[in-house]
Amino acid sequence: MNLTYNEAYQQLSTLVEQIEDNEIQLDTLAEKVAQAKELIAFCETKLRTIDNEVTQALGDNNPKDL
Amino acid sequence: MPQQLKLSELVNEIEDAIQNRFAGKTFWITAEITDVKKQTDKRWCFLKFIEKEGNLITTEMKGVFWSTTFYNVEKFEQLTGKPFASGLQITCNVRVRFHKRFGIDLEVLEIDHSYALGKLALEKDLTLERLLKENPSLIRLEDGQYFTYNKQITLPLVMQKIALVTAPNSDGQRDFKQEIANNQYGYAFAVTEFLTQIQGDNSSKLIVQQLQLIQSQMEKFDLVVIVRGGGSQTDFKPFDDYELSKYVAAFPLPVFTGIGHDRNTSIVDMMARQHKTPTKVASSIVDHNYNFESTIVNLKERFFGNAENLVEKAKETIRQLKRTVKAYSPSSILQKGYAIITINDKIIIDPKKVHPGSEIKTLLRDEIIFSTVTKKSNNEPDL
Repeated sequence: MNLTYNEAYQQLSTLVEQIEDNEIQLDTLAEKVAQAKELIAFCETKLRTIDNEVTQALGDNNPKDL
Repeated sequence: MPQQLKLSELVNEIEDAIQNRFAGKTFWITAEITDVKKQTDKRWCFLKFIEKEGNLITTEMKGVFWSTTFYNVEKFEQLTGKPFASGLQITCNVRVRFHKRFGIDLEVLEIDHSYALGKLALEKDLTLERLLKENPSLIRLEDGQYFTYNKQITLPLVMQKIALVTAPNSDGQRDFKQEIANNQYGYAFAVTEFLTQIQGDNSSKLIVQQLQLIQSQMEKFDLVVIVRGGGSQTDFKPFDDYELSKYVAAFPLPVFTGIGHDRNTSIVDMMARQHKTPTKVASSIVDHNYNFESTIVNLKERFFGNAENLVEKAKETIRQLKRTVKAYSPSSILQKGYAIITINDKIIIDPKKVHPGSEIKTLLRDEIIFSTVTKKSNNEPDL
């Protein structure tokens, strides 16, 4: 799953709206539950993992003598 | 040969004259200071008071703070956020002193801080006025609050990729990174450091250069953090600079400042999202992400709460159906005292098939009655 936080949030909100407005039928519930679970796991994981932790910007503008 | 005096005799007379005129008296003066030499360990400060016409110094007098009044210098730095240094104009209370070897000087007894603060505030006001006047589309003032383009950029839902502008090996850098790295929720962050000198004459230009560098790769970052810190650092002047302030006001990524001073808010602070200290900048970023996670948890609870209800309702409907089916089953009917009549072992639905002489069975709960029909008539319900 490669989403932005915005996309994940929007999709999850839509699922919640649908279920709260009784728009989800029993026969699609399992599929929607799986989607919601995946979106939540995606956000939780993304909040806690990132590639590079601390880096120093590379460029000539960085004063080397400081 | 005229009468000759020893040097000391003449100097004694000078001393007497000065004593007569100045002993026990103090004076308030306003003057520029130069050649400021602070000896913090001894708590002395030597300086010169000067007065100029154009660029020409017309009057000059030595001045000194001794350890009993040195706290004035420290207080000045605390209050103004500026180092006590050459080029300042100060108002102070002085006493005239004369020493037979070192000559005449002015001992400073007290600084009028309100004068220094007033002057500083005035400079700041002028810069703010100019920012408003020359950048109406970027900066406006409403009810004493500055609204800038930068402050109104919507923050991303989560902020993880941080461009950190700070001085190398500074307290601010350390405090910020510690708070970020040790956040209690275990959130991950990528901090890219843009190190620069952050105090002194040229630093506002150097900070702008770092911001330009960030802007050239802005898709890599969620926000910019500018922090400085450290107890004795007092030079806030770079953060009141017009060009830097304007650059921050117009910057396309959200800028969080943690420039750290209790009394003074710098102009850069006003143009950006201000936090008191580097640690607080870090915790506000962590809190922002926590808010997002709370929203997600809330959505999760709403979704699964409703999903459970949905399943529960479906189960209830099935239970209801089962009850209905059961209520209409033949055995339930017989239990209630009704009877079922059959002909040729088929339930009589159409009475036309029954005639006098037909063999019928009446099924009761426990027994079956066998009968022969003797008579048939219409059943008029007595309604």
